[in-house]
Amino acid sequence: MSDTDSTTTTAFRPVVGGERAAEALEAALRDAPADRIEAFLTGRRGDFTRFAGRRVHQSQAIDEVQIMVRAEVDGRASLAAASSIAGLGRAVANASAAAREQAERGLPAAAPRADPGPVDEPEVSGRTASGALLWGEDTAAWDVGEHVALADRAMSEADRAGGVAAGMFGRAVTEVAFHDRERGTSRYAAATEAQGSLTVRIEDGSSHWKDLSRSSDRLLAAESVERTLAEASAARGRAPLAPGEYDVVLGALAAGEFLDFFGAFGFTGGALASGFGTAATRPGEQAASSLVSVHDDATADLGLPFPFDFQGTTKRDVPFLDQGRVAEVVTDRETAFALGTASSGNFHIAREEAPHAIPMNVILRAADTTELDLIAGVERGVYLQRFWYTRTVDPVRSTITGVTRDACFLIENGRITRPVESQRFTVSVLESLARVDGVGSVSLSQPLMNVFNGAATAPPLRIRGFALGTAPVPKGTTA
Amino acid sequence: MTSADTVAPLAAVDAAAHAWGELADDQAAATMLTTVLAAVDVPGVSYADARLIEAEEVRLYSTLESGLDERIEHNLGVGVRVLFNGSWGFASVPIDDDDDLTLAAHRALANARNADRVSDAHRTELPPMPPVSGRYATDVVLDPFAVSASTRQALLGDILSAASAPVEVVMAQAGLNAKRQHRHFANTEGSMQHQHLIESGAMALVNAVGNGTMQRRSFPNSFHGNTAQAGWEYVEGLRMVEEADRIGREAVELLTAPLAPQGTADVIIGPAQMALQIHESTGHALELDRILGDEANYAGTSFIGPDAVGSLRYGSEAVNITSDPTVPGTRGSFAFDDEGVPASRQPLISEGIIRNFLSTRDSAARIGVPSIGAARSDGWGYTPVCFATNVFLEPGSGSTEELQERLGDGYYIDDNRSWSIDERRHNFQFGTEVAYEVKHGRRGRLLRGFSYGGTTPEFWQSVEAVAGPEEFKAFGMPCGKGEPKQWGFLGHGASPTLVRNLRIGVDR
Repeated sequence: MSDTDSTTTTAFRPVVGGERAAEALEAALRDAPADRIEAFLTGRRGDFTRFAGRRVHQSQAIDEVQIMVRAEVDGRASLAAASSIAGLGRAVANASAAAREQAERGLPAAAPRADPGPVDEPEVSGRTASGALLWGEDTAAWDVGEHVALADRAMSEADRAGGVAAGMFGRAVTEVAFHDRERGTSRYAAATEAQGSLTVRIEDGSSHWKDLSRSSDRLLAAESVERTLAEASAARGRAPLAPGEYDVVLGALAAGEFLDFFGAFGFTGGALASGFGTAATRPGEQAASSLVSVHDDATADLGLPFPFDFQGTTKRDVPFLDQGRVAEVVTDRETAFALGTASSGNFHIAREEAPHAIPMNVILRAADTTELDLIAGVERGVYLQRFWYTRTVDPVRSTITGVTRDACFLIENGRITRPVESQRFTVSVLESLARVDGVGSVSLSQPLMNVFNGAATAPPLRIRGFALGTAPVPKGTTA
Repeated sequence: MTSADTVAPLAAVDAAAHAWGELADDQAAATMLTTVLAAVDVPGVSYADARLIEAEEVRLYSTLESGLDERIEHNLGVGVRVLFNGSWGFASVPIDDDDDLTLAAHRALANARNADRVSDAHRTELPPMPPVSGRYATDVVLDPFAVSASTRQALLGDILSAASAPVEVVMAQAGLNAKRQHRHFANTEGSMQHQHLIESGAMALVNAVGNGTMQRRSFPNSFHGNTAQAGWEYVEGLRMVEEADRIGREAVELLTAPLAPQGTADVIIGPAQMALQIHESTGHALELDRILGDEANYAGTSFIGPDAVGSLRYGSEAVNITSDPTVPGTRGSFAFDDEGVPASRQPLISEGIIRNFLSTRDSAARIGVPSIGAARSDGWGYTPVCFATNVFLEPGSGSTEELQERLGDGYYIDDNRSWSIDERRHNFQFGTEVAYEVKHGRRGRLLRGFSYGGTTPEFWQSVEAVAGPEEFKAFGMPCGKGEPKQWGFLGHGASPTLVRNLRIGVDR
């Protein structure tokens, strides 16, 4: 631990804490005027050090709390939220009153829900019963002073090399508490989170690193800074890359970007119930290479494991692609009921969205091949470190578009040779995964967009035949 | 918009709409802010500001698969920013009791001290700004929070029923939302500002499946509908049920519509798609914090350099783009940004030449210009960063029909389906929900799967004409930026725009 100004910083512990959260939720819900009532609390206390050029430009300490109450009156349900324990009473009253209003108006009943299942995931010394790490003392000790020192090192070394560095080092403690009055169940867990990311530019060369974990030691942050600096230097002098189809090795970050789309492609209970998407239209099909297994697995010791969701349901390992074969979908209590299954513990509620089940800790299972071995298997192709701004073009065909970014290199005779410029690509994710013939051994994790406590984790992949460049359309051609 | 010495009396309906919650009283909020700032009045602190914000939202969603999802959300907290010895620190806490306010101030100061440990740091010198105090309140006719739950729920049900009437519509969602905020700001330069904002919005989204494809239609905008800084009168004016019926039918029609072609074509882009084009390739490209490299690791940079003002030809002479948060009614409307800079109308691009950047006080100081007032934050929890305000493509003249006649043969496209642009905001590719053939100036067949791409300067230099103000539409949008990621809410608008020689059909 570094010499941080301890007199004015807050200890690294949950914003609310398990005992206080449980007491507050139980007390507030006890006499609420509702037939059924439950609530969850999320807390997040984070220290985030952003830097660029030659300065730390955002040194931030952020505490956030959200409490969401779900009240049911005569089968109608309503939600209300508060940002503090002090606001909980009003949230209970608002949710109860709104549900009653629905009942009095005779609105349709809320969607029926599957049983939440047993509470069987006790936390033991920072690990869940399944063995997934929740609490890292190393992360608790990885304080702002260390973040600043790492940032300083990255910026100074980049500067000496004639470049610039920008990035963020951060740690957080995330907590979730849940209480269901009628069932008499309460759950609580707190988890650490360490994040690091860095972009280094030297002349026209650049490289990027990003990783997150419950354990700061696993980030190997200092080594990652050094590697990123070296890669940025090696990526100088980029040559144009002709559009075409290439054998590619995707770095772990580029491969992980594919995982962000599994919700959009129909691996959710909502999509399956509607008859839409891959799981609905291609059940059991061999959609990807048998080397590819993609799971939503919050019980694994990778990414951001967590024992239960906001409905108090214990999370389980859900295979989307089991050795390439289309397998299961993630569910919450509502979609599980509709499908006649048990919830997988994937209930989520985000801003400006209706609550629904989504993938939350997506993992592409690693194999035992090194990245160098994957590269060695390419006679002529391209190494792509990461993608940028990928978006769904066609969810039915699992088509996405995006651009390649940072350290991209030509591969010739099994070796990285020259850096190449970025290219746009528009490809089908599942068709690309069908052409995987090598899976790497070392994974990186990155946040899932707009998902609380969400992460995508992947190792490098080798894909045969990956189209780079927009469709060749000569200027002046009349459509 | 008002300032301290020109506070306008609120109309009766306004006063009632803004009299809610714990921070409605400006004087009480001012006392709290003064307490916060006093906690960081220590040697070495050259500047500090504090934001005390209370927000409440009501959201209703309904989908085909589930019943009504109704939410009421309330949050209240404080964010404090400190400049110590030229280094920034920030901290935020939700308000549970009075002690928390001082805690945030002390943590912000500690963070600034930690940032100051970077050796050889480039220290921020913030040019002093004269104190600006005042009060602003959204002008509303109908308080959305006074609308009965039964009225909201009935409308939502009607929208969903209309949208999902065709059997081919397998997924449909309707939504209604309203938000009210008290945003109080004070800084150590003596500014004390109070903004009381109200928003209302609605959305409908359908997906139809058949013929081996899925087609989406939406209204009034692609992703989250549209939210205006206005009262319930805005929602009533959208005629949501009628529009929901239309998009349901159009989604079905798209299932069997011919696939849009590949090649190069002349195109009229409708206001909703132009709003996103502006957002991605103009708003983001002109954010000065990106241009200076602060966002290189996350949001990206810009192909535009800090010396572009007055010299870089960004678009054709038909391209005039302004930042104007003083225009009321969209999510980018305000009187003071989150650094207390008064809102003002500023030309960003005049006749195709760059005239200004979107800036914060920090970024503007680094290139020696005053901030235009584009520092925004997602509530009390996050430090202000540079987000767009209301960034509009200024209208030209003439109706859409006249523009189509000028087009001759080509396409009319609108409503975004997919979007992607590189980190320098240069190479883009967009898909739209709808495209219509235009032959001899007349709109014809509906086509599916339309996409177009290119580079930002190439696109904007190919703009030949923009329709008149009578065709102008503005849209409120969310935008993600920062680490940790925060949402900014802003406004973009345009009239239909004629672009020549556009590459189309690039996603196949």
